[in-house]
Amino acid sequence: MRHLSLFLLCLAACTHALHSYEVGVTDWHKPLAGVPLVQSHSTAPVFHRRRYEDGQTSSVVLTATQSNVLAAIHSANGSIAWRHIFDDDDHIIGFKRDTDIVVALSGPGGANFRVFDSNSGHLLLERRLHDLAAGRLQEPESLGTSVGFGAEEKEKDIYVLTNGHTLRRLDRHTGEVRWGWTAPDQTSSVLYSKIFVTLSTVYLLGLSKSFASYTLHVTSLSPDGGVVVYSGNVPSSIKTGFSQAFVLSDVSAPDTVPRVVWFEDGKIKSLELAPELTAKPATVKGAAYKTIEDVGLSEYGQFVAIAENGSGRVIKLTPEGLKVIWEYSDSATSPTRTGSIYSGGLDVDGHPYIARVFWAHSLKTMSAHVFASHLAEGKGLVTGYTFPFKTGEHGIIRHVAVEAANPEHYRVLARLAVTTTTGAVQMWQKDQLQWTREEGLADIRVAELVELPERKIALHLDSEHETFGARVARQLLDAQDFPQYAVNFVRRFVTGSYTSVSTPVVAPTNASEPLSRDAFGFRKVIVAATPYGKIYGIDSANGDVLWSRVFGLGWAAQVGGQIIPAKLFVTRTVNDGESPQVVLVTQRKASNGLVDTVLFHVDALTGEDARRQSPSNDLLQGEDAVSGPLVEAFLLPTDAGRAVVLLDEFLQVHLYPNSDEVKAAFAAVAPSLRIPLRSGPPGQRRLTGHQVPSEVEFTGLHIAYPTWSLPFPTGEDIFAVFARPTDPVASLGKVLGNRTTLYKYLNPNLVGVVTGPPSTAPLSEKATCGVYLLDGAKGTIIYHAILPSVGGRCDVKATLVENWLVYHYYDPEVVVNQAKGYRVVSVELYEGRGVDDKRKSSDMSSLSNATTDVSVYEQAYVFPRGIRTITPTSTSYGISVKDIIVANENGQIQSFPRRFLDPRRPKHKPTTEEAEEWLIQYDPVIPDDPKRVLSHHYQVAKTQKIVTSPALLESTSLVFAHGLDLFFTRIAPSNTFDVLSESFNKPQLVVTIAGLAFAIVVVKPIVARKKLRERWYD
Amino acid sequence: MSTSTEVSKWRHLPPPPGFASTVSFSKSSGKAVAAATASTASYEELKSKRAWDLAFSPAKSLPMQAFMLYMSGGGVQIFSMGIVFMLLSSPFKNLAAINTAFAPFAPASAPPKSLTTLPLQKIAYLLCNLLTLALGLWKCRSMGLLPTGTGDWLAFETRGQPPEILLV
Repeated sequence: MRHLSLFLLCLAACTHALHSYEVGVTDWHKPLAGVPLVQSHSTAPVFHRRRYEDGQTSSVVLTATQSNVLAAIHSANGSIAWRHIFDDDDHIIGFKRDTDIVVALSGPGGANFRVFDSNSGHLLLERRLHDLAAGRLQEPESLGTSVGFGAEEKEKDIYVLTNGHTLRRLDRHTGEVRWGWTAPDQTSSVLYSKIFVTLSTVYLLGLSKSFASYTLHVTSLSPDGGVVVYSGNVPSSIKTGFSQAFVLSDVSAPDTVPRVVWFEDGKIKSLELAPELTAKPATVKGAAYKTIEDVGLSEYGQFVAIAENGSGRVIKLTPEGLKVIWEYSDSATSPTRTGSIYSGGLDVDGHPYIARVFWAHSLKTMSAHVFASHLAEGKGLVTGYTFPFKTGEHGIIRHVAVEAANPEHYRVLARLAVTTTTGAVQMWQKDQLQWTREEGLADIRVAELVELPERKIALHLDSEHETFGARVARQLLDAQDFPQYAVNFVRRFVTGSYTSVSTPVVAPTNASEPLSRDAFGFRKVIVAATPYGKIYGIDSANGDVLWSRVFGLGWAAQVGGQIIPAKLFVTRTVNDGESPQVVLVTQRKASNGLVDTVLFHVDALTGEDARRQSPSNDLLQGEDAVSGPLVEAFLLPTDAGRAVVLLDEFLQVHLYPNSDEVKAAFAAVAPSLRIPLRSGPPGQRRLTGHQVPSEVEFTGLHIAYPTWSLPFPTGEDIFAVFARPTDPVASLGKVLGNRTTLYKYLNPNLVGVVTGPPSTAPLSEKATCGVYLLDGAKGTIIYHAILPSVGGRCDVKATLVENWLVYHYYDPEVVVNQAKGYRVVSVELYEGRGVDDKRKSSDMSSLSNATTDVSVYEQAYVFPRGIRTITPTSTSYGISVKDIIVANENGQIQSFPRRFLDPRRPKHKPTTEEAEEWLIQYDPVIPDDPKRVLSHHYQVAKTQKIVTSPALLESTSLVFAHGLDLFFTRIAPSNTFDVLSESFNKPQLVVTIAGLAFAIVVVKPIVARKKLRERWYD
Repeated sequence: MSTSTEVSKWRHLPPPPGFASTVSFSKSSGKAVAAATASTASYEELKSKRAWDLAFSPAKSLPMQAFMLYMSGGGVQIFSMGIVFMLLSSPFKNLAAINTAFAPFAPASAPPKSLTTLPLQKIAYLLCNLLTLALGLWKCRSMGLLPTGTGDWLAFETRGQPPEILLV
């Protein structure tokens, strides 16, 4: 054993780095942008046509996303052209594009101003417009901010409105503020939100709150010096805020006076914008209206108004005033179709188009009607078509962006960029799907790697019932492949062309063939669920989506709601003989405020409903397990298979599957269950241990009862509770150089807790964070460390594996001989008081006093940088060394070898015995080894979690990181000691053996003859 | 190998040319007999001396072996392992063949292959071989090949199921 571990350590000592030929073979990376923010015009997807210097153009979809990213996606192939990832605390508020630049505002009140090159995404300018603390938070966030461009032909300056009352004119190239204007009376109720720039005047539109509604307020300034020309209210009463008030102008007819348009009590009102604002509001004559929509064509003088009966009308700005130029036929509200989504777009020549998209219940397809006002001699032309949108796979369309082309006179070719409720972004060119991006994967809440079965499992399942004849026939049939097999065997033997560790895990070309694993078990299914109501099965070999299902809302389909994944359990693995299954525990938040716990039980290979309740191409219906919110969910292995244990608010125990077998098995193990739960109001958080009686209450359910409680100091909130992974532990102790043993403290009830000041508490420098290790069965604290907070905030990341706790924090204190910086502390727990003190902690009763007999070895190190998440590697038998994998702030996934984090590193030159353990001298700084960056040059952004999972090879651990991007690789912490090295020269070996055999054959008779001669003649 | 042929090797061999047989002397004269008795006694003494030599021979080679061990180093390699293997196996081989080894030096009066013949020499021989064995074991220990520490038995330790199940 000892020599094996020495051997492994020796292997670990040789630094392993990723080779360039393995890039993209053993790993993959899926950059994502995030789900587009579609609520506001300033963030929603929009087509942008980029012009190159050679006159070529290409189109991208610009969008801001819920992952706080500004991205441009190529319209042609759906790949990301560029993306800018904003910091987590710097929320993107909106962007505005001009011909070659994109201006983005972010932060509270629009504090940060950035200009990007629209072709390359390069950051051209970055400015802080006001202090973050001075930013006013509005609801919605985009309120009070706006970006406008000058009306000049070229070198337009940028006008930026921030915080609802400050307007600046900035130089396009240098970002220099030409002038700034701040509303003199900031405390007044006027909140500016829109900018409209003409050659002679800059108009600011604001709303001032009056009784029960808002009044439009217009301020006009001179563009040269920012001098106020006029400021005053427009007699109006707007109920809905700025979504129904905007300025119409027409770039194709610059002489037309721009008008501000708003919706008031069923009427569309408009007012000519002149510097002095002398005109009187006019009303559009005709039918009463329900609402008006800015479809993004206000600069082209068009918008859509919805009449009382639901039918949509296109209204255009003309020199005479507003005029209805088109009414979509069959657009009135009707039970045969859903409401329509209107969206405006342009073609290459800058002509406006307006698309209306709706779902026809009768046809079960999406329909699109694209209106082009300039065609058919200016009378307007509508092109209608349907496109086969799969609502069962992608949910409902929430937003549409349109771009059109007009190749022939009466032909309009529309391109729709569609955003759906499940977070998918699709590009439809007419009725052809161009590409789909599953942007929902940028927010994976739970993910598990599920092992695949071997290929032959599906071959003959009914082998028990077949007759003798059938069996012989089958075996003969099987035997026909034997010659081929024999040839393959010989070839493989001679050339040594085995599957090697760095060969790609090939996906079978035959799609109908069931999924099967590769030789080393590197291929698994990543089952992942998102809060956009979808569960995915992802092939770990290449990152492709194998299957996906959309959750059905159950009864909440009537009122609407959202399904938020809470936990994911693998309830059946391939080792149980059948196809693997997973159970997803979710919280369904219905729009009427009711929260239920719903379970989805699916086959991990196909996504089929394991309960057989929902057909495979329809919504996946779940089981309402608890009518009420969930407190905790656990996976409990019982004699009757793995069961999901759910605890509701009243601590009632619900089981899934709820069969009598499982109930009986649960009742048998119930008295030995120990469940620590968080409890107590904020500020007085405690961890309370619970037990479950074996008897059921009259409701037929077990009810857990509290047994102990561990109050944390006031002002410490529980941030995380974590336990060690359930991986096997290969060695019960650590053998030292003098052959004595430190027995690992493997108390199965060990629970880690990270605490810190509650987020509601005022920030205080004195606040501290805490890391605890405690016995989760009785609440005894076994290890406790108090860590400094960073200005009252805690960012402690901790992980526990076997008897090893590693935590990472930022130390802001400066004392003698110590600089502030990131620290990582490595803690190891061993049984008893020293070497050879065996307490058998791994099967000890929690009632034993010996649970607290622990010796702690700990060491602090300086860590190169901040991290987002930390996780240990995981191998199938736990023999390989455990490395620590972190996602660092630079968007890298990096591994840190255990040798550097060993808390027993001596402070002196290692003695012979210590050298025998491969201990290296203590060095306060953990080296930042670029060779150990698993993600090499990929930017793996905003990683939320790293999931590790064992492969079949003991040496190798699979690593899956999710967050904004998806990244998958594999790592061998002790190098691949269980596979023959790829440089091994098999032909040479075969040739040598063959040569020797040949020599024996030749020499043997000669020797025999010689011996005979000796007998005769000597 | 049968006993009779072995005995014949040293008892019934014809004397080498030029050597008179002791048997022929015994019959010729009393002086010759006395001389022959003296010769036999000195021969027995010689044999006993040689037996003592043999008994101490393993101890004599000890310094040499210790030097070889020192030269072979502390690592687990083919040389050191060969020497250690020799050190460990030769005492047992020697002891297994102890009667045969001492048979040529057995006094004429005693059965040559008996264990009780030359007891003191054999005990000394045994002790000396134990010394060699001890040297071999010491070397094994210094190379860490003796399972003396708890660490050597760790892999055989087992633990049962914990009495409680923690759900976190």
